[in-house]
Amino acid sequence: MSEPVVVDRVTKQFAGHTAVDELSLSVSAGIIYGLLGPNGAGKTTTLRMIMDIYEPDSGSIRLFDQVGGGRTHSARIGYLPEERGLYPRMRVLDVLVFLAEAKGVSRRVARVKALEWLERLGLSDWRLRKVSDLSKGMQQKVQFISTILHDPDLVILDEPFSGLDPVNSQVLRDTVVDYRRHGKTVLFSTHIMEHAEKLCDRLCIIARGKKLIDGTLAEVKRTHGGKHVIVAFDGGQGNAQQIFKDQRLVAKIQDFGQQAELELAPGADAQEILKALVNSGARLARFELASPSLHKIFVDLVGPEAATAAAIGARAENGGPNA
Amino acid sequence: MHKVWAVIRREFVERVRTKWFWVSAILGPVLFAGIIVFQIVQSLGGAVRNVAVVDSTTGGLGARVVEALNASNAFRASLAPAGLRVVDSLKDLVEAKQLNGLLIVTNDLVETGRAEYQASNLGMQTIEALQRTLGRLVVKARLEQKGVNPAVVDWAQIRIALEQKKITHGRTVSENATQSFLTAYFMAILLFMAILLYGVNVMSSVLEEKTTRIIEVLASSVRPFQLMLGKIFGAGAVSFFQFFIWAVSARVLLSLRGPIARALGANPADAQTMSLPHIPAATLAVFIAFFLGGFLLYSAMFAAVGAMSSNEQEARQAQQPVTILLMISYLSILGLTNDPGSTFARTLSLVPFTTPIATPVRWTAGSMPMWELVASLVILAIAIVGVTWVAARIYRVGILMTGKRPNLKELMRWVRA
Repeated sequence: MSEPVVVDRVTKQFAGHTAVDELSLSVSAGIIYGLLGPNGAGKTTTLRMIMDIYEPDSGSIRLFDQVGGGRTHSARIGYLPEERGLYPRMRVLDVLVFLAEAKGVSRRVARVKALEWLERLGLSDWRLRKVSDLSKGMQQKVQFISTILHDPDLVILDEPFSGLDPVNSQVLRDTVVDYRRHGKTVLFSTHIMEHAEKLCDRLCIIARGKKLIDGTLAEVKRTHGGKHVIVAFDGGQGNAQQIFKDQRLVAKIQDFGQQAELELAPGADAQEILKALVNSGARLARFELASPSLHKIFVDLVGPEAATAAAIGARAENGGPNA
Repeated sequence: MHKVWAVIRREFVERVRTKWFWVSAILGPVLFAGIIVFQIVQSLGGAVRNVAVVDSTTGGLGARVVEALNASNAFRASLAPAGLRVVDSLKDLVEAKQLNGLLIVTNDLVETGRAEYQASNLGMQTIEALQRTLGRLVVKARLEQKGVNPAVVDWAQIRIALEQKKITHGRTVSENATQSFLTAYFMAILLFMAILLYGVNVMSSVLEEKTTRIIEVLASSVRPFQLMLGKIFGAGAVSFFQFFIWAVSARVLLSLRGPIARALGANPADAQTMSLPHIPAATLAVFIAFFLGGFLLYSAMFAAVGAMSSNEQEARQAQQPVTILLMISYLSILGLTNDPGSTFARTLSLVPFTTPIATPVRWTAGSMPMWELVASLVILAIAIVGVTWVAARIYRVGILMTGKRPNLKELMRWVRA
């Protein structure tokens, strides 16, 4: 299978601090790939290097199995940067045509496509208006059209959902899913795990410029999840807190008050916890075996007390508690 | 190259669509029409004037004054005998615009050369004509008093027609000193304004892409150098289009001088002979070449300034060194036009940052050997290549930078990177 994006041991430093550190990842064709990480993890820097905006200090990037970065292949790539922007004084149609031309699309084709898309997203009446006359939501749509107007094989979206209103969020999600259906590849970054969990086929979590984990969503959950139990109380909690602290049963807990997500200790049986809870007099509304949410995995991986993969591994071996 | 074209076209179309482009496109011809009308009105000022000559001489000199004034074609004079109320009633006529003015002559005219002219409008041309006519008459009268034959006096008095010609580059051109000075001066101002105006345009265009963050999308599809070139050439094309509009409208207005003159009640034939500076094709070529060179040199610098700034305020500060470089030429214009052959002028035309203005001025003023012109051009061309190289490196890094404006040390690092 071809790989539209291959990042190979890439490093980038800015004024002394390392933004991206020996990062490698590969995105195969026809999937939605999520690049996840907290703010400042190096997501935007990585995408910018892929797009030829920054040059890596070391390492290499290959796109569509060929040498050369985003600029060489700009006709095949749609890029939505984190910081959006259009020419405020230009007419909507002119902006779209110009941005498509900059990617190598002929003027005539660009015009036809732009009109098509404006029609599809209900902006036809606005095509001759200045960008600054449009509402923020409409500008988002125009920006989005400019990203995919030239029908790219690979779409790179940097924090695509940030600042989007719910309607445009939905439009974006639909289009992304539609894109994959047509065999195209989507690479996007986000720090909101709910989006990633719903959309991604594969994902990669990075922090401080380093890769912590990558793989399919299922793989990531399998490797970094363990067994999880969701407990919700209905009134009295009995001796629940005592039981949750039993390290033979519970490895980690996220307590939300009336609800808690438990990660079972290795070898522990969920039924034992249930029995202990019922015996202690707790009234349960819910007791459910679950796979961990991506959010939980993410917090575990990049949370302040577990910032690196090494630390995670060490703790998992010790089976240490997370109080 | 398709991408560079797209950038050039966008730059051009968006600029030409602005209000300001058309304001200045229209302002140019309006100004020019104003100059034409002004000249015609001035020539009207030289038309026949009705003058009453109040004669309080004892020898009947008044009649001779009337005769001389009428002979000059510039005046229609009538004799008024001196009297108590005469001057007052003539003043009323001047007030009522039935008379242009009154000339009071006494015996003093011949004895001490004194006379008095009262008018509502003391035009230069009228005064000069009066002085000339009276002067001849007085010389004649005084010579006659000494017994000289009036015919001999008439024969002796001839008018000098000093034809002024200028030697430029081995050819003699019919042009006077004022004209060549004005042409050079006008050219220098035009060059300065155009380079500054369109250079700043490049800067604000770079800045706009930076502040709206659209630069990130652009930089991922167009090479920064292509982008910078596209901007510079786009803005350059706008300036040429502007000049083109001015030139065409000036041409049209010139051909309309006759009808304009007629509409203003002047003699169309007078308007046709109105003096216009003679601009040879070579001068025009030099002007265009150095405008182009100066524009490329300065707009590259302005592009770098735009790229290293994050907002208008920063840009205004950062552009100052560039503007000062240009101001040096501007402040030297008078010195250049007054003495285009001086060491000062020669130095300015060999320094790349001042040559775009200094050399056309010296050339127009007509004191520049061919080899110096070629040397200036070569120096300018080398400077353009060098400056563009440095500017492009600053631009490449700067357009993606946000936050603090770089200091000189950081700039050097950008250039070396």
